[in-house]
Amino acid sequence: MSDADLVEAALALDKYAVSQLITLFEDRRATAPARRAAVLAMLDSRGAESDGRIIGVTGTPGSGKSTLLSRITVDLLDADASLSIAVVAVDPSSHVSGGALLGDRTRMRFVPDERRLFFRSQASDSDLGGLGPSSFQVCRLLTRLFDCVMIETVGIGQSEADVRHLADRVYLVLQPLGGDEVQFLKAGIIEIPHAFILNKSDEPSAATSYHHLRSSMWLARPFDETEPPIFRTSAVTGEGVADLEADMLGCVRSNSAAGLVEREPYFLARWVEDEWGRSGRRFLVDVLGDAAQYLAMCGGYDAAQGRFGDDFTAGFRS
Amino acid sequence: MADAHDAPRQEHQILDADGQAVRDRPWIIRTYSGHSTPKASNELYRSNLSKGQTGLSIAFDLPTQCGYDSDDPIARPEIGKVGVPVNSLDDMHILFDEIPIEKMNTSMTINGTAMWLLAMYVALARERGVELSELTGTTQNDLIKEYLARGTYIFPPQQSLRIIAEMYEFCLEEIPSWNASNICSYHLQEAAATPTQELAFALANAISLLDLLKERGHFTDEQFERSVGRISFFVNSGIRFVEEMCKMRAFGELWDEYTRDRFGVTNEKYRRFRYGVQVNSLGLTEAQPENNAWRILIETLGVTLSRDARARAVQLPAWNEALSLPRPWDQQWSLRLQQILAYETDLLEYPDLFEGSVVVESKVEALKNDAREEIDKILGMGGVIPAIESGYMKSALVRSMSERMSAINTGEQIVVGLNRWTDGIASPLLGGEDGGIFKVDESAARDTIASLERTRAERDPAKATAALDALRAAAHNGESMMEPSIECALARVTTGEWAGALREVFGEYRPATGVDGQQLGLQGDRVDALRARVAALAERLGHRPRIVVGKPGLDGHSNGAEVIAVSARHVGFDVIYSGIRLSPDEIVQSAVEEDADVIGASVLSGSHVELAEQLFEQLERHGASGSIDVVFGGIIPPDDVDKLTKIGVKKVFTPSDYELIDIMDSIVGVIEARSEATADVT
Repeated sequence: MSDADLVEAALALDKYAVSQLITLFEDRRATAPARRAAVLAMLDSRGAESDGRIIGVTGTPGSGKSTLLSRITVDLLDADASLSIAVVAVDPSSHVSGGALLGDRTRMRFVPDERRLFFRSQASDSDLGGLGPSSFQVCRLLTRLFDCVMIETVGIGQSEADVRHLADRVYLVLQPLGGDEVQFLKAGIIEIPHAFILNKSDEPSAATSYHHLRSSMWLARPFDETEPPIFRTSAVTGEGVADLEADMLGCVRSNSAAGLVEREPYFLARWVEDEWGRSGRRFLVDVLGDAAQYLAMCGGYDAAQGRFGDDFTAGFRS
Repeated sequence: MADAHDAPRQEHQILDADGQAVRDRPWIIRTYSGHSTPKASNELYRSNLSKGQTGLSIAFDLPTQCGYDSDDPIARPEIGKVGVPVNSLDDMHILFDEIPIEKMNTSMTINGTAMWLLAMYVALARERGVELSELTGTTQNDLIKEYLARGTYIFPPQQSLRIIAEMYEFCLEEIPSWNASNICSYHLQEAAATPTQELAFALANAISLLDLLKERGHFTDEQFERSVGRISFFVNSGIRFVEEMCKMRAFGELWDEYTRDRFGVTNEKYRRFRYGVQVNSLGLTEAQPENNAWRILIETLGVTLSRDARARAVQLPAWNEALSLPRPWDQQWSLRLQQILAYETDLLEYPDLFEGSVVVESKVEALKNDAREEIDKILGMGGVIPAIESGYMKSALVRSMSERMSAINTGEQIVVGLNRWTDGIASPLLGGEDGGIFKVDESAARDTIASLERTRAERDPAKATAALDALRAAAHNGESMMEPSIECALARVTTGEWAGALREVFGEYRPATGVDGQQLGLQGDRVDALRARVAALAERLGHRPRIVVGKPGLDGHSNGAEVIAVSARHVGFDVIYSGIRLSPDEIVQSAVEEDADVIGASVLSGSHVELAEQLFEQLERHGASGSIDVVFGGIIPPDDVDKLTKIGVKKVFTPSDYELIDIMDSIVGVIEARSEATADVT
């Protein structure tokens, strides 16, 4: 199938077409940026702008994120027949073989032939979790196709900070008395989310944990003008899930479009560092101005990615 | 016939004219069997009993085990494959036709739907006018090992344990000779558990069950003590038969210790470790399958040689289990082994042969110490349920399996005919018209569905609906579901309806897969070379090769699929392990959404041809049949390999392909071939 055919089918949310386009946006070969630019241009010409909202859901393994998301996505789609959601679940990779076990699918509820719900796994390419190198790229595509993109990450520490740069709203999922509160305070991760989800609230220790979390807010987040919401949920009993869903829906429906273009400088800089190391990053800042300036000079993200290698090697020679 | 599980030792002895014991009575001799339809299985049982078998061991098909009616779409490829389908009480009447259940010791390998099958057995007795107190037998009903290894669970752990407890509470007074459950270490060894793990996991399981019975408070102290005496075990016996014999002695001694010290059981009789055995199938090979006959014999010795630790009931696999489901002749051959050992040899004329053996005693002590340590660890976590939910026990087993496969792959563990002395003369046993394997008659499934439709048409619908409502209400209100289930059986409610009603109340469970964080011990040049090829492939494709590993159908033996998932990551794949009990639609949708390069499907139930057809139909529907390859693994007879290839399957792996690196090599080859073919086109 040609890229034009894929774009046509993907606009109708055909699963295999969407999936193959995601693969193009994850593609690390030198030929990929040009194809991506062409695909985005086709989508733009069809009026498919990147106006989907990005919701980040992060937390330690075992906090029940996937089960909760499984329930929420199905509920949201049931409630609104025009809504569409893509879930991108990022899992850690092995540093030895580079391979990854992407296991979140086992927790998702299977909805046959539902084009409005799409689920994709992604490897983080790092032991620590956090976003994958192509998570941003994939969002450039998916926000043009779906109303809402949910990014689920497993993280322990600063690798999670990336999520804040990508998502419109970030939720941190905690489980009762996992000792999570202390751990997150230490790692500074408690500063990241816009809202907290205390999951498994059917467990007896949930009330204590809730008060712990509440009382540590002022210490850990002196920058908050109003206290961030804490949703107490249970995927088992369904408790608190409706409130959380309403909060997420509020984000999806909001008009304050940040837009992915504003996020391009951060992720371009990140990409440069992934691919070319610190010297690449220094070259971007010291020689090319900074990421934003370079993007403007090249005329877009794909062009910048396409050119950077040549500019960098040329810069070294001169 | 007295329940052999219950009878004191004297009744187990054959006396001469002067009342002197001359030899012990043999254990109950059984064959695990059932297939096609209730009628065909009934004929098989009657024929087995006439050949000298002394008890029944019923194998149910997967839809019955997982709580689906035969006409459910997920059930269709599996009807009558690995056992008999039972949709309603009408089927029970046919299954036990002309078999006097009041004289029969009936063992049912049934778990997720155990309460339902017991309810139907009770209803059968009521309709036949048989006193419940005359019924003897066992419902396997151990959900812990289902979560860990076997996969026919339905409900979450808490609810599953509630069902088990309610069955104990019903049986103790109503059917006092019935074993409401059988704590299974059998399946743990099939999942490669070490002897210590087998001891510890099974005993921790039993202890947690007794803790629960006590906590529920339905029993008086006297009743509780008797209920301890109702706990029985189902154990495995592997090829290291000396260690296995010691394991059985350790089991008995530890159980005596825990029931006395933890539960304060004073009557020695109720502390006795009662167990039945099926010997090991994991070690049976597809290569030179005739050798399995010797393996089965040696494994049987492990559980019969020592009188103090002798099994109460034994069932043996057949020599050709790694090839297909056994034929009646294969089962007869295994039955004869038991009869020769029990009736021809002098084994049963002696007291315990190992009493006082320093070697045996020290081995038993070592096993006990290791097991106690592990039991303490599990109880420290709060018992088996937390240890299941956290994935602790599952991970330990997946690790053991990976270690076992590594040891066979490196040749450290010798398996004759498989990794040593592999050249041999072809077996004439495989030469018959049927190629030495069993095939289910295709018309059987139609008959089963027709009889299910008849039941539905002839019953009183109002009565069936009312019975189901009462069941739902009991489940919801925390009342015992046993009587409502019996009423359902009498009202001709079907298996799928019974399980469906409880699914509505309890939900369905998805357990931890245990593959996370697992490492494979395989190292060396071949691993490095393969990783380099995978990396080169990733460069060419623009992404790491992606494989979706899953088990289509209802068969829950997930060990093989898990080892493949772990191995694939070990050589550098991105692996999407989607778990067990999936419909072909689900697996294909995963592969399509993940843009996988290949699907690896594992099937052990014999339904591989139907499932492959369904997979390809689904791939076609998504327009992906030309771009996502499919490989299969499982117990797949040679004729079927050709069938699968014709359907479009690129590679078929059978138990003779045990070298993980060879399998990975071959899967990488499939993706390389595709990527070269695509490169030629563009």
